[in-house]
Amino acid sequence: MKINPELVTRAITGFIKAETARAGFKKVVLGLSGGLDSTVCACLAVRALGHDKVLALIMPYKNLDEAGVAHAEKVASLLKIKSRKIDISPQIDLYFEKYPTDSQVLKGNKMARERMSILYDFSAREKALILGTSNKTELLIGYGTIHGDMACGINPMGDLYKTQVRELGRYLQIPEEILKKKPTAGLWPGQTDEEEIGLSYEELDQILYRLVDLRQSAEEIIRSGFEEKKVKRIVEMIKRSEFKRRMPPIVKISNRTVGHDFLYPYDWDK
Amino acid sequence: MKIALAQISTVLGNTEKNLEKHLKLVKKATAAGADLLVFPELSLTGYNLKDLTTEVALSPASSPMFRKLLEASRRIDLVVGFAEESEHQTGLVYNSAAYLSRGNLVHIHRKVYLPTSGMFEEGRFFARGGEFRTFSTRFARTGLLICRDFLHYGSSYCLMAGGAGLFIIISAAPGRGASETSGQGFETSRMWELMGETISFFSSAVVVYCNRAGYEDGMVFAGGSFVYSPFGKMIARLPYLEESFKILEVDLSEIKKARRSWPFQRDERPELVWRSLERIVRGNHED
Repeated sequence: MKINPELVTRAITGFIKAETARAGFKKVVLGLSGGLDSTVCACLAVRALGHDKVLALIMPYKNLDEAGVAHAEKVASLLKIKSRKIDISPQIDLYFEKYPTDSQVLKGNKMARERMSILYDFSAREKALILGTSNKTELLIGYGTIHGDMACGINPMGDLYKTQVRELGRYLQIPEEILKKKPTAGLWPGQTDEEEIGLSYEELDQILYRLVDLRQSAEEIIRSGFEEKKVKRIVEMIKRSEFKRRMPPIVKISNRTVGHDFLYPYDWDK
Repeated sequence: MKIALAQISTVLGNTEKNLEKHLKLVKKATAAGADLLVFPELSLTGYNLKDLTTEVALSPASSPMFRKLLEASRRIDLVVGFAEESEHQTGLVYNSAAYLSRGNLVHIHRKVYLPTSGMFEEGRFFARGGEFRTFSTRFARTGLLICRDFLHYGSSYCLMAGGAGLFIIISAAPGRGASETSGQGFETSRMWELMGETISFFSSAVVVYCNRAGYEDGMVFAGGSFVYSPFGKMIARLPYLEESFKILEVDLSEIKKARRSWPFQRDERPELVWRSLERIVRGNHED
């Protein structure tokens, strides 16, 4: 499942360029967390449009991920892109003071949607298309917040597994410390994706690649030496998260219905 | 002869803008002395049309846009792709390719094999064409195919049996597969080249393949248009992924030379293939 990074870069930068122009924008905006995905995405955006056309929003909650903020600032300065730091703590705290919870997941989702809301606001203010930073691994297992970090104008890296994004990052020569650090959704201090998902990205991607790209059955994958429990869990995660990958279903009543038989392309007249 | 390949991107569903682009390239190709200018599949409309299919469909006999193309073909032969409103079968729309020359509509091919699986849904919106037929142009006996038609080798067999020395394939093929072994283009580009090499050599024919570039709804059109000689040698390939325009010199006398070196066509037995196929098809039906 190794990629051809040169070809992938060409395809993605061409996509960013074409879709930005078609949407009627000259600029793009993205949330920069200082993690691997948003760093690679920022890098691709700069290659596609130039550093003066990319705006990065760094949106920390208190000091939940100080290392991330430092990395994001470093990436912005390395890429010479404009960045703005927007602290989301006041509005998040205000909400949870009123509706308290101990659930880190609820808090994390709320933060993800707050960042989404700011990104859409800045998209309109700055006339900039929002670049999503979700990768194929996250999309397939549903490791993301619906209408939160999954919301965007276009998704340039949605067909690359996490380990492939890392490969691409290496090719694009992003800072070594970002390539090496443990991926985190920044839900709580010290949180890592792999601990929360219960699998390493290497193993997860190997199984997903076999299931999705090679169209192997769970049984075949288990027979080839992967742990049954893990394979079955991944299959279940894919199934349970389909709703995050689709527009909500509309109950069909009329003869012609949005999503059912009123079907127009996204790039219509563009 | 000089063949111009227009590996373009299009505006999805906007035939006027696309026509404008066609006419600009006609000027460019004519000025450069090209004899034939080939555009990709659905070059007047864009590919991923969905419900737009019926809205952008045009009838060659009555369309003012088509008249402009016919007018342009007085200076240079043209192959264009469009959504064709059927004259006789009201309501049907075909994915068609037209060969225009000296102000006349010489031939229309309606795509037979409409990919309808995975990322493709042509069978949902288009009616299927019903035949493969060769026709005469001022250059050679010629055959037209559209994209997926070329991947079914029966189509090329029909063109070969029909005596074609010039195969023109127009395409809107998205690229897929970017693994470390894919080279400069997508893995699927190799598939088209493999067919081009094989068909040109074993039919002793010039194979002209014109693909699209650009993006539609996340599809990446792979470019990589090419021309193979009747000896199966690649004469040229356009760049992968990006728009490109190129004029190539093609030596048609090679068709004769190739057929004398390798008389595949002389020794071919279409009537025997026909009888065998008939038995096979009947047999399948009886099962």
